[in-house]
Amino acid sequence: MSVAVAARIARRELRGGLSGFRVFLACLALGVAAIAAVGSVRESIQDGLRRNGAVLLGGDAQMSFTYRSADAAERAWMAGIATRVSETVDFRSMAVVERDGVAERALTEVKAVDGLYPLYGAVELEPALPLDAALTGDGAVMARVLADRLGLSVGDGFRLGEKAFTLRAILIRAPDDAAGGFGLGPPTILRRAALEGAGLLAPGTLFDTDYRLALPAGADLAALEAEATRRFRDSGMRWRDSRNAAPGMTMFVERVGAFLVLVGLAGLAVGGVGVSAAVRAYLDGKTAVIATLKTLGAEGRTIFMAYLMQIGVLAALGIGLGLVLGGAVPLLLAPLIEAQLPVPADIRFHPGPLAEAALYGALTALLFTLWPLARTAEVRAAALFRDASGPVRAMPGPRVLAALVALAALLVGAAAVLSGVPDLALWAAAGILGALLLLVAAARAVRWLARRGARAKALRGHSALRLALGAVGGPGGEATSVVLSLGLGLSVLAAVGQINANMQAAIAEELPGVAPSYFIVDIQPDQLPGYLARVERDPGVHKVQTAPMLRGVITRINGRPAREVAGDHWVLNGDRGVTSSDSAPEGTVITQGAWWPEGYDGPPVMSFADEEAREMGLKLGDAVTVNILGRDITATITSFRVVDFSTAGIGFVLSMNPGALQGAPHTAISTIYADAAAEAPLLRDLAAAYPNITAIRVRDAIDRVSEVLRGLAAAVTYGAMATLVTGLFVLIGAAAAGERARVFEAAVLKTVGAVRGQVLAYFALRSAILGAAAGLVAVFAGGLAGWAVMTFVMEADYTFEPVSALLIVSGGVLATLLAGLGFALRPLAARPARVLRARE
Amino acid sequence: MAAPILALKDVTLTLKGNAGAVEILHGVSLDVQRGETLGLVGPSGSGKSSLLMLMGGLERATSGTVMAMGQDLTAMNEDQLARFRRQHMGVVFQSFHLIPTMTALENVATPLELAGAPDAFERAEEELRAVGLATRMDHYPGQMSGGEQQRVALARAAAPRPDTLLADEPTGNLDGANGAAIMDLLFGLRDRHGATLVLVTHAPELAARCDRIVGLLDGRVDRARKAAE
Ligand SMILES: Nc1ncnc2c1ncn2[C@@H]1O[C@H](COP(=O)(O)OP(=O)(O)OP(=O)(O)O)[C@@H](O)[C@H]1O
Ligand SMILES: [Mg+2]
Repeated sequence: MSVAVAARIARRELRGGLSGFRVFLACLALGVAAIAAVGSVRESIQDGLRRNGAVLLGGDAQMSFTYRSADAAERAWMAGIATRVSETVDFRSMAVVERDGVAERALTEVKAVDGLYPLYGAVELEPALPLDAALTGDGAVMARVLADRLGLSVGDGFRLGEKAFTLRAILIRAPDDAAGGFGLGPPTILRRAALEGAGLLAPGTLFDTDYRLALPAGADLAALEAEATRRFRDSGMRWRDSRNAAPGMTMFVERVGAFLVLVGLAGLAVGGVGVSAAVRAYLDGKTAVIATLKTLGAEGRTIFMAYLMQIGVLAALGIGLGLVLGGAVPLLLAPLIEAQLPVPADIRFHPGPLAEAALYGALTALLFTLWPLARTAEVRAAALFRDASGPVRAMPGPRVLAALVALAALLVGAAAVLSGVPDLALWAAAGILGALLLLVAAARAVRWLARRGARAKALRGHSALRLALGAVGGPGGEATSVVLSLGLGLSVLAAVGQINANMQAAIAEELPGVAPSYFIVDIQPDQLPGYLARVERDPGVHKVQTAPMLRGVITRINGRPAREVAGDHWVLNGDRGVTSSDSAPEGTVITQGAWWPEGYDGPPVMSFADEEAREMGLKLGDAVTVNILGRDITATITSFRVVDFSTAGIGFVLSMNPGALQGAPHTAISTIYADAAAEAPLLRDLAAAYPNITAIRVRDAIDRVSEVLRGLAAAVTYGAMATLVTGLFVLIGAAAAGERARVFEAAVLKTVGAVRGQVLAYFALRSAILGAAAGLVAVFAGGLAGWAVMTFVMEADYTFEPVSALLIVSGGVLATLLAGLGFALRPLAARPARVLRARE
Repeated sequence: MAAPILALKDVTLTLKGNAGAVEILHGVSLDVQRGETLGLVGPSGSGKSSLLMLMGGLERATSGTVMAMGQDLTAMNEDQLARFRRQHMGVVFQSFHLIPTMTALENVATPLELAGAPDAFERAEEELRAVGLATRMDHYPGQMSGGEQQRVALARAAAPRPDTLLADEPTGNLDGANGAAIMDLLFGLRDRHGATLVLVTHAPELAARCDRIVGLLDGRVDRARKAAE
């Protein structure tokens, strides 16, 4: 019954139009639109990945082996289920061009293919020849960056190992590009048969063999995967199929998408502040109406409902606008976005992400308006006869508080579940909440300080500054909502800036200090003495480490299947590097147990990486079975040792006594720590003497990683910008809402003798103080987030990055100044008489 | 007789409203002598407030001249007018017009500060004490009654010791007792500082306390009334 009354009241009130709700609508619409757009693009990419799975993978399914080709049993099983099987071998090598006695070398990821490749899709070349034509004889194709680096044109010759090849075309795009994931070098494609005599695939060399399978229509991929896994997992077979052709890419898109959605949620929180301020202002204007309704006998509940309904209608409108915008923008920009993506995406309308965005929008709107709405019930009829801005309770009542907590939990829970990255979502939520609390506290502190400052004797006489401080510290919610909204937007940006700068510093500046210059792989055992002689003799080399390397799959622990014991730990996924050493390598830190005695020749024993062992629940004396090239070796754990994977040095989870690995074909890997000046001549000599080895320049790899990171940071910065734009809307909204008050103040100030310069200085200072406060708090919050991420997630050092911080503070000041002064023109121009007369 | 402190000559005022331009004052000529208390009376809408605004330089005459202390207000720009008011004019309105984000003390100190007075706050405190608000200095306008707000407004107008006080129905929003108190304060201020006072009022008993009364009717000085003086 009271619902019907409330609805009628709501409808009448809404007849007034939407003019007071522009900021409300903009904030909500923008936040929802950003999330909907990100979600739509992400969904489209994932959809594209799913639908083009077979092309991306190069087959309906793929079985891969490291270090070896499939054996007879595996081949027979594949032949049994597939209509066609294409075999490719992937490895890293050095492409060499000799010109006038000077050799140019570049790392490349070689894909040696058979005549069936690619099973699906086509390789795009320039000039546009068929792949078969390009690869006849000694033909090869390579990516443009690689050809450019080597100064190669189509028709030129180059060398891989000991074999000469001719570049027949530039590789523009291979259908299975995206499935490969992160490569250390640009690709070269050639015929498997052409590698004969190159000396590159000697036993023990690190290579992968992939078998792409074309399956009969209607093949049950899940069943086949289960079958293949059951049969061949323990011999190191890895399965992949068109259901998830590019897991790395899928994961990447998922992660980035999830991250952007979280940034979008921060934007929505900023919008929430604006929404809250708008509703507060609206309801403040309604005090008289509410008091009158109460005088006429309306209950608090009825009034609450009436305004809840109004806000509900408006929120629905804002969310609807946001969905239209967020759904339509990706569609409109589809050609642009699709061209930017490395994977096939067909940008289309997806209801899922829109529903997700709508849910977030609705929860946020409710979360941020409930308290101001609840306060309508507190308005007394007596408010009609007194100033409305009387004392307001600082805290919501217990019922409202409980509802707010429940709503917040619902919102965070939804984000945790829907984003697919619950940890990250919870952390982000904690971060946003923390930032909001910090900002509320900061806003209070700013107001308190401003009030104190306005009273300070030292400031007397500086009228503009004192007026500004008085205004910031005085009654009215502008300070709080500006510091909150702008501060939160800037905080996100500051956090991104701090984290990015620190990551870049860690990767580009600190890492090279501790990382080796070169990683050398595929050194044959008989090459090792000569190799070491050359390297150790070089005065520019301060350290060289070598270790034998094999790869093996941990299959059993204490006789039981490894996964049953240790769960789905990454060490158990696929094959791991295994090394051996007679004595503990220099600098080894044993945490438990002891290294085997030198010359030990008993039953196999192993040392396991300490942290991973703890995660997997291993203890001294456990028996671990490792399958190395089809042979099971069971070794007893006799020690745990610290393995640091972060410095790019040699790091093996497993090390065994040499006797245990006797007879297994292996190569050595080596790290060289050398002065920059010594690097090039050393590499030249080594590559000339041992054409089969591959040198990975760590600096280049680091550059690749930091490039990827930079791209990520850019994407996130765009996301943060959306947050900031919302913050600016709130800012402009606050400035616009304050315009009437400014007009009045200016008129009064002029009446008591203020010249326009003084009024302008007052307005400017007032804005700048708020902007600076928001910026400073944001820098603090961003620094805190940066410190937390670096310390707890990256486990690296954090140093404060001043440049982005400075930009953010000045950006904050500039934004508030522009918004404030933009709305100062009318107040400055207005004639006092007109203004004050209208107020009589 | 000495030169008048305020001299209006053939002043017209045209305002552009939504319904087009309206001439509100049609050639008003009026002198106010130094130290004099002038009552402006007339029916609602006759142009009293408009005339007062013109005297304070808060409104600009469409034609004619407004001389104050021998200076031509119509020839000044906005900032010159503001500086002139700062030194010579105090204005009190019917609805107080305090700045809501400032405490009583800050409201009163503002004109002094704008004028660059080094002891703005001390003088403001004194002024508030004089209007009986010693205990309300740190209150915001929203925390004060109408009578108290008007007293703050009076203190603000009087603080810079203006030569002229312009008051537009200062008791119009107050009850009898409060209104009487305000009027006593206003006349007290005038007496203490020897200021000239121009008072717009509807109340006959207030008009009676003035030295001279000028009536307005439809934007003109009411000759009949003047003759009756
Ligand atoms: N902005 C404006 N545009 C057009 N006309 C206006 C404007 N402001 C006031 N007026 C008109 O000017 C006339 C004089 O107004 P004014 O306020 O000076 O009268 P008043 O004598 O002070 O009346 P009251 O006793 O009611 O305060 C009135 O008729 C009013 O309607
Ligand atoms: Mg009037």
